[in-house]
Amino acid sequence: MLETLLPILIFAALGLAVIGAIRRIRLWRQGRPSAVPLLKGLAALPRRYLVDLHHVVERDKVMSNTHVATAGGFVAAAVLMILVHGFGLAQGVLGWLLLAASAVMFVGSRFVAQRRRNPPARLSKGPWMRLPKSLAAFSLGVFLITLPTVGLLPADFGHWLLALVLAAVVVWGLGEMVFGMTWGGPMKHAFAGALHLAFHRRAERFGEGNRSTGLKALDLDDEAAPLGVEKPADFTWNQLLGFDACVQCGRCEAVCPAFAAGQPLNPKKLIQDMVVGLAGGSDAGYAGSPYPGKPVGEHSGSPHGPIVAPDATTGGKALVDAETLWSCTTCRACVEECPMMIEHVDAIVDMRRHLTLERGQTPNKGAEVLDNLIATDNPGGFDPGSRLHWAADLNLPLMADVKQAEVLLWLGDGAFDMRNQRTLRALVKVLRAAEVEFAVLGTEERDSGDVARRLGDEATFQSLAKRNIATLAKYRFQRIVTCDPHSFHVLGNEYGELGGPGAPARYEVRHHSTFIAELYDAGRLAFAPWKGGKVTYHDPCYLGRYNGEYEAPRNVLKALGIEVKEMERSGFRSRCCGGGGGAPITDIPGERRIPDMRMNDVKETGAELVAVGCPQCTAMLEGVVDATAEVRDIAELVADALVARPAAEAVDATQRPTAEEVI
Amino acid sequence: MRPEQQGIEVAVLVSVGRHPITGRARRADQDARGLEMALGLERQLPGSRVSLLHAGPRSEEGEAALRGYLGMAAGAGMAAGAGMGLDTLTLLEQAEGSDAIPALAEHLAAAPPQLVITGARAERGEGSGLLPYALAERLGWPLVNGLAAVEKVENGVAILLQALPRGQRRRLKVRLPAIVSVDAAAPVARQSAFGPARRAELEVTPVAAQPDRALAEWQLAPARKRPKRLKIVKAASARDRFKAAAAKAEGGSGQVLEGVSAEQGAEAILKLLNEEGVLR
Repeated sequence: MLETLLPILIFAALGLAVIGAIRRIRLWRQGRPSAVPLLKGLAALPRRYLVDLHHVVERDKVMSNTHVATAGGFVAAAVLMILVHGFGLAQGVLGWLLLAASAVMFVGSRFVAQRRRNPPARLSKGPWMRLPKSLAAFSLGVFLITLPTVGLLPADFGHWLLALVLAAVVVWGLGEMVFGMTWGGPMKHAFAGALHLAFHRRAERFGEGNRSTGLKALDLDDEAAPLGVEKPADFTWNQLLGFDACVQCGRCEAVCPAFAAGQPLNPKKLIQDMVVGLAGGSDAGYAGSPYPGKPVGEHSGSPHGPIVAPDATTGGKALVDAETLWSCTTCRACVEECPMMIEHVDAIVDMRRHLTLERGQTPNKGAEVLDNLIATDNPGGFDPGSRLHWAADLNLPLMADVKQAEVLLWLGDGAFDMRNQRTLRALVKVLRAAEVEFAVLGTEERDSGDVARRLGDEATFQSLAKRNIATLAKYRFQRIVTCDPHSFHVLGNEYGELGGPGAPARYEVRHHSTFIAELYDAGRLAFAPWKGGKVTYHDPCYLGRYNGEYEAPRNVLKALGIEVKEMERSGFRSRCCGGGGGAPITDIPGERRIPDMRMNDVKETGAELVAVGCPQCTAMLEGVVDATAEVRDIAELVADALVARPAAEAVDATQRPTAEEVI
Repeated sequence: MRPEQQGIEVAVLVSVGRHPITGRARRADQDARGLEMALGLERQLPGSRVSLLHAGPRSEEGEAALRGYLGMAAGAGMAAGAGMGLDTLTLLEQAEGSDAIPALAEHLAAAPPQLVITGARAERGEGSGLLPYALAERLGWPLVNGLAAVEKVENGVAILLQALPRGQRRRLKVRLPAIVSVDAAAPVARQSAFGPARRAELEVTPVAAQPDRALAEWQLAPARKRPKRLKIVKAASARDRFKAAAAKAEGGSGQVLEGVSAEQGAEAILKLLNEEGVLR
């Protein structure tokens, strides 16, 4: 009986899955066009899946092995099942292979079940709780129906009732694993995830050591193009596909600083809300942690309805509240952790663009900061002519005078901030000690546009960027050095798209820690041994996750003779200081402050000093009351440790032992 | 919404402003506050129509600044549905150095709105603050300056709240049509959004230009900061400190030194600094 039933079941499930797939694809195609090479993407899929994705999954070893067993077992079992039971190709080794595959999958499903026994808060419950049972049903069902096929059991084994029960188990398994894959069950992540990997909007992020972190520019010359994303259908189709790939593992939720601070943002919920939006409906079916302070079930949306209610003052609700979008610090911790390679930050900035450019609803100080950027080219509204006042006594060479230099020192808006001026003075001292030929733009420099862009004001960003590019095009320099990772990121990764024919806008940009490390390696700096206490290092998001520079700052500290006491969350998992993405400007209230949590991390290491490399981080961490550690920029530590370097000719490894002795 | 509360026609006179630090063209602060007040009225009195009016030369810089006002349509329009009348701005095009008052008066008289809102003083040009008065005189309409709020409009009569120095308010009843001017006491203008500003249209109407003869005779020079008298607060209690903070600095004992030697001048300055307690 089963022999006749099985092909019917299998092909019925496959047929339904194809119908579901077409329906799902039509949902994604509601999005705006986005040019991706389809065949090339599909060809790159196996590598992206097996290497790039696995790299992220592998950070959790147990889960990684579980997934390899379950997913690998399933893919093999499904293909073999179609051959063996669908087409009746039971001869030879195929049946045995099917037995093996389903057995492996069954073992995997037991590990999934183990994890679901006391699931951590970050995991979604609801339909996901039945997944281990469904996995077991599929693998066990396939295993059992294959036993007679390979001859381990007689073909007429057991009662017809047993066959019926077995058929029911197989139906359950097929229902979840094949039908559910395209009709919106938990297994949807496999179908959407595979296509998402193939048609990813940032194909350049895949591959060893590659990253793609710059925001994509809006085409402001095309007046018909929407300014940002108002409704789910305003996302590109492959962004919608990306949202649908979410496996609700909650790794993003676990690392999100805004979520931890009790601000109304949860990256996982946000992505799920976008899925609700693209399919239409309410978020009542969501079974994970909500946005802090916002109960589930009150929001709903549709593909062509607004994401954020047009007038929040009247208490209207749509898919997402504006404050959710403004809570993000753009730290990219969620993107870094996401095993499905979803781009949360892109989506958030897209939606912010609509709020700022179309509705003029940048909250709190946002409007003031943007007006200042428009009128004075700096967010504080300071006189642009006073940009170099802090250096009145330093006699800095101006690009306007010297026209060319080896290094262009980009000051950033920290030039107006008295705290950051100390860092800048220290950096100048270091550059002079190493006899670097450098110059500054002085009053010709403008804000890089980082804050404007992250607040969604693409128009102001592009205006600033284009004027900066034109200024930079006037001068000749080999590289730009800056102590501001935000400027670093924008100049290095985001200006390139905006360069014109006369000004290519591709610069070699270095963070000051990288540059200092190079100078030290070249023997151009010498340091006195470190006499202070324990030190830890805080990775700025825009230096680390955005630009992959984790080593240089640590090498500089090492050269200073400092042994870094690492925080639990450091390197690519560093926790944000709360200062990015305009978050201090929009200032969405939470239960805790993000910098307080970070200084607690510092306290746990027992460090008396935390070394930083970013003016934002300095400001945020120094704003913490009753901190146990002092906050110093790497440039300041280096400047304090400078000693006259041994005669310039005799520089070699034996001539600079001061630092090495204490390591 | 009571039946007698009908929407009214509001015209907001807007100018090209000038940023106090960089001198770049922008939406003028007071005029933007005036528009904010008009948009608030629109919400208060459904069916009201707000129109924007500017008289002056047409230039790229000026147009960008004027579009700043049009960008304020975003928030309000969505709540009230469409039909805000803020997607256009009427630009009475005149040559540089023309007198804006006759052109504005003529335009307003041709299709009189019930309420004309304007900033108290322009940020460039003469900036004398006389425009609302001159307009009111020409049109024969009442004028209220320093408006803080429009409380009610009923049967052609508006109840207005006028701001007086030191936080005082005066409630006034004014028969419409009227001209009101706003200064820093009016609510702060909302954010201007790029999208609506870019899409909006400028309706350009060339008008006969009357050269501003008075202006042509003047010499323009950059303003200098006026010397400000230091306030010495010797307050014993919080009440005294508050009174001192609210009070204006009073002068009266100044003296002009002319034809004195540098030493004598320096001595006089030193004496004053000692008297004022700057030096101790």
